[in-house]
Amino acid sequence: MTELKRYLAPTSLDQAVECLKGGNVTILAGGTDLTPQSQAGRIKFKQTLMNIRHIPQLTGITLEGKEIRIGALATITEIMEHPLVRQHLPVLVEACDHFASDQIRNAGTIGGNICNASPAGDTLIPLLVLDACVELASMPEAKLYRHCMPISTFFTGPGKTRKSLCELVTGVRIPVPGAGHVSRFYKHGTRPALDISTISIGLAADIHDGVMKNVRVAFGAVAPTPLRATATESALEGRHLDAATIEAAAIAARDEVNPIDDVRATAWYRKEMIHNMTKRLLENVSA
Amino acid sequence: MTVAEKKHRVIEPDSLIGKRIPKMDAPDKASGRTRYIHDINLPGQLHGRILRSARIHALIKSIDTSAARALPGVHVVITAADIPDQRPIGVAKDHFPLKVGRVRSERDEIAAVAAESEEIAEAALKLIKVEYEDLPVIGNPEDSIKPGAVLIHPEPHGADGSHLHLKQGTSIAHRGKADNVAMRFDYSHGDVVQAEAESDVVIEDSFKLHYVTHCCMGVSGMIAEFDSAGNVLMYSNTQVPFLHKREFAEYLNIDPARIRIIQPPIGGGFGSKLDIYPFEVICLFLARAAKRPVKMLFTREEEFLASPTRQPVLLTLRSGCKKDGTLTFRQVHTLHDNGAYTSWGATTPFVMMQTFSSLYRVPNCDYHTAAVYTNNPYAGSFRGYGNLQATFAIEQHMDMLAEAIGMDPLEFRMKNAQDAGEVTGQGMSFKSCGFKDCIKSAASRSDFSRKFAENHANQKKPGNIKRGIGMASMLHVGGGAKIYPSDGCGTILKMDDFANVTLITGASEIGQGSETVLSQLVCEELGLPISAVTVVNNDTAITPWDVGVHASRTTFIAGNSAIGAAKKAKSKILAVAAKKFDCTEADLDLRGGFVIRADSGEALVELSKLLRNLHFQDKAELVMTTFYYEPPSVHQDKGFKGDVSAAYAWGNQVVEVEVDTDTGFIKLLKVTGAHDVGRVLNRLGIEGQIEGGVVMGQGYAFTEDLMIEDGKMKNPNFRDYKLVTAPEIPEMDIAFIESMDGEGPQGAKGVGEAPAICMAAAAANAIANATGVRLFELPFTPEKVYRALHGQTPKRYWKPWKAE
Ligand SMILES: Cc1cc2nc3c(=O)[nH]c(=O)nc-3n(C[C@H](O)[C@H](O)[C@H](O)COP(=O)(O)OP(=O)(O)OC[C@H]3O[C@@H](n4cnc5c(N)ncnc54)[C@H](O)[C@@H]3O)c2cc1C
Repeated sequence: MTELKRYLAPTSLDQAVECLKGGNVTILAGGTDLTPQSQAGRIKFKQTLMNIRHIPQLTGITLEGKEIRIGALATITEIMEHPLVRQHLPVLVEACDHFASDQIRNAGTIGGNICNASPAGDTLIPLLVLDACVELASMPEAKLYRHCMPISTFFTGPGKTRKSLCELVTGVRIPVPGAGHVSRFYKHGTRPALDISTISIGLAADIHDGVMKNVRVAFGAVAPTPLRATATESALEGRHLDAATIEAAAIAARDEVNPIDDVRATAWYRKEMIHNMTKRLLENVSA
Repeated sequence: MTVAEKKHRVIEPDSLIGKRIPKMDAPDKASGRTRYIHDINLPGQLHGRILRSARIHALIKSIDTSAARALPGVHVVITAADIPDQRPIGVAKDHFPLKVGRVRSERDEIAAVAAESEEIAEAALKLIKVEYEDLPVIGNPEDSIKPGAVLIHPEPHGADGSHLHLKQGTSIAHRGKADNVAMRFDYSHGDVVQAEAESDVVIEDSFKLHYVTHCCMGVSGMIAEFDSAGNVLMYSNTQVPFLHKREFAEYLNIDPARIRIIQPPIGGGFGSKLDIYPFEVICLFLARAAKRPVKMLFTREEEFLASPTRQPVLLTLRSGCKKDGTLTFRQVHTLHDNGAYTSWGATTPFVMMQTFSSLYRVPNCDYHTAAVYTNNPYAGSFRGYGNLQATFAIEQHMDMLAEAIGMDPLEFRMKNAQDAGEVTGQGMSFKSCGFKDCIKSAASRSDFSRKFAENHANQKKPGNIKRGIGMASMLHVGGGAKIYPSDGCGTILKMDDFANVTLITGASEIGQGSETVLSQLVCEELGLPISAVTVVNNDTAITPWDVGVHASRTTFIAGNSAIGAAKKAKSKILAVAAKKFDCTEADLDLRGGFVIRADSGEALVELSKLLRNLHFQDKAELVMTTFYYEPPSVHQDKGFKGDVSAAYAWGNQVVEVEVDTDTGFIKLLKVTGAHDVGRVLNRLGIEGQIEGGVVMGQGYAFTEDLMIEDGKMKNPNFRDYKLVTAPEIPEMDIAFIESMDGEGPQGAKGVGEAPAICMAAAAANAIANATGVRLFELPFTPEKVYRALHGQTPKRYWKPWKAE
């Protein structure tokens, strides 16, 4: 039994952020995290349950200047099948392809994945290496206020973000990668479908004349939040991908993560996999 | 058609045996029409929920149910104190349905509520206050047998230390147990000491088998209702309705005649419904107190927490052979984690010792098991019944011995494999035995020897992907198992005026396809199409006795029983027809719905017409027959010797894997199997049975792992308890060896458990073939495999221990 008193389904962004003002609201998107978590008693519904699925401003995948904007309500399936994403952001498609099962992908949204802020959230790793920004909306006074926050600073802990209770995530913005851009995603689960990442790795860089620039590496499920791996990035930045660089980066990767033991794996194994699979990803890029 | 032509209508011989016949219950199941217990609701029904222990091992100091009782919508709240006549349950009678004074595991039942809705019942549970005093937890069986270990079942004392004046009885629940050994099994034939002295090679290893659970898609549940005369009607998912009827009567202190059990279609059993569990008795207590029907359904989490598991086993095996490949002896010590209480599953050593003593010819065998109490979930019976564990050890040793003497593992197995006619040291008599054919078939179809040698040569070559191939064999009962006073099954068969058959059988349908196979066997005798049969098999007030669905026995035992009833009907019909056509019964037969001439196939009269003639005459008669089949097997003697099954099933499975040494991931590429099933009755059914069993064995080997830490279950959900998913299922190539068992129905033998047994053992052998590394512990999850490949798995040695 819950404290739930009210159910709302606003049809505009203004209505939605207006309702959020008091903060005593539980936001419902696809419900694929919310439902199991509330049933297991891990989260309690607040007084108002707000279904955001009827808000047009949260939908769609569009090219806006040099950015691709993905609405918060875009489902994993929509993202995976969208021509813009397939053309420019294959690393995100890769992550979506390893996400849950068809049923969950049809319901689960990218906004939900971001706000659930799981260290193992599968879209978060590609978003980190793609330098994505999270779009936020609120109504501090009487007017709609919107701003963006780099996703690399968005997460603060498991299930915790810098988003305030009065804010809604409306979408993510991703710079369209330029020429020479390469990217990879690897998810380590024990089965092809329906698995939570034991670890995951994202990699993006611009390669010109064999030299890596703007290297971005991110790891999932090795820390309280999805993580940018700065030491690994430095081990790669400005370098040729030769065997020595690859091994040095893999070692840097293993040394900079500090995972835990849980039902899925021990910390030792996670570190080993970070090493082995970072190496494999890099070898794959250099091949 | 002219009259003359019609007269000579000939019906060609036809047979249903070996055909691919869809299961009779499949259309309803596939279209969602089947009414499981979850879909049944009775007028006036209340909902029952159980309060389970918040502690693993503790004394119960006090229980306060007053707030729960006061909650509107709550009808009944019960604790042990409310049921003074509670009797202990389980094979060892070592626990009460509602726990008295002490909890011994996470699942333990403390109180129960019947309320107008599940939500109210759930809310009421939260209002029950329990005070505990924690006791030391025994989280593994090795600690349980240490001197001075805390007793799991001490003599019962009250919270203040005074003796609890429980009703006198001899059970463990009443008297306690002075040590933690729940059961022990000691078997031997020959002289292992002498045999060891004569062996050229002796190896010894310890193996560790983990916890897994059945994961039935339909969670457990039941509905209980008492009528005003005190008769009980139960809707129950039991696998053994007739034995349970007797047992429930005992727990309710009533005459068994007052209990009627109806079994709605069951959403999976696999052995999990062989015991009576506390929730069933508690549901009866609630219904009795509420004077209303009470329905109790588990949540999925509860299904994990409060269902039985497979036995976790610690096993040390010592084996020897001669240079020429002759096995000399086996010595086995095992320690079983019984959990806090004892279920039928504690008797898995019955099956394990058969594998050790008789799968191959072993002149000397010495076997010892102690099943010991811990504070873990209590293990029950599970498809394969100890045989997965035994086979895991024995079949790895077969490969290891072969390697030690430089012999091909295939040749080594063939040299020691059983033949028809063998009577083993344990007294099992193999009348039909296609074992060698199974090995040969699986090996040749998988190209075993070539691949084995090739993979072996590749072990040390560079590259992170290694291929491996491995095999394992199995022996299992295939003609029932004489454990109870009778291993029989009864059939009532009636025919109506349209030559339709109602087959009333004691054998429960549990998803295995028994309705279809039994109908097939009956139709084969009576020359009718499957569509002519209606099966009634789920009501103890109607069906004749059967010992229950277990031990892969239903096709064999209930099949012979159904054939017996059909043969009686047939001879009655032929006697009437012989009179009518003025010939002998031997001149006639039944085929295609007609009485025909046996030699020419000429149709003489429609069977339905003959039956009507018989019925609507002065000396009116109906065709109704009964038959009770009791297999010619015998009980084991005190030393566990004897021919317990009327037939034995054999099999061999070859597993091919690809190991990624960078991650420990194993891709299961292919399973090639050959099973001696006596004879294929329903090809579609048996293929389904084998494929399902292989996948269950695959889960046991690779993915499933019920993690228990100090008595606490870490992963009671499908996210973290990993069943095999569709894309992981390997290619399968299964062949059937038809040894035509003389006692089996149409030559068939049982196969229900067989296909799950070899997988883990064969997988271990395949991994060793791929990498040169042997894994002695299940499951082969990526991390476990990776650790072993990188020298991070210290070799475990469990020093053999025998209960005094
Ligand atoms: C069987 C199963 C398998 C899964 N497998 C995976 C997997 O492989 N990889 C993976 O990453 N995840 C997985 N998940 C988790 C889940 O599906 C994803 O996190 C999904 O993206 C959540 O989206 P949703 O729309 O369903 O979120 P919801 O459940 O609706 O919401 C999640 C949280 O975010 C908040 N929220 C949602 N949208 C917004 C918004 N626009 N603004 C502010 N707050 C918001 C909600 O209040 C809630 O706290 C799985 C879940 C299940 C049940």
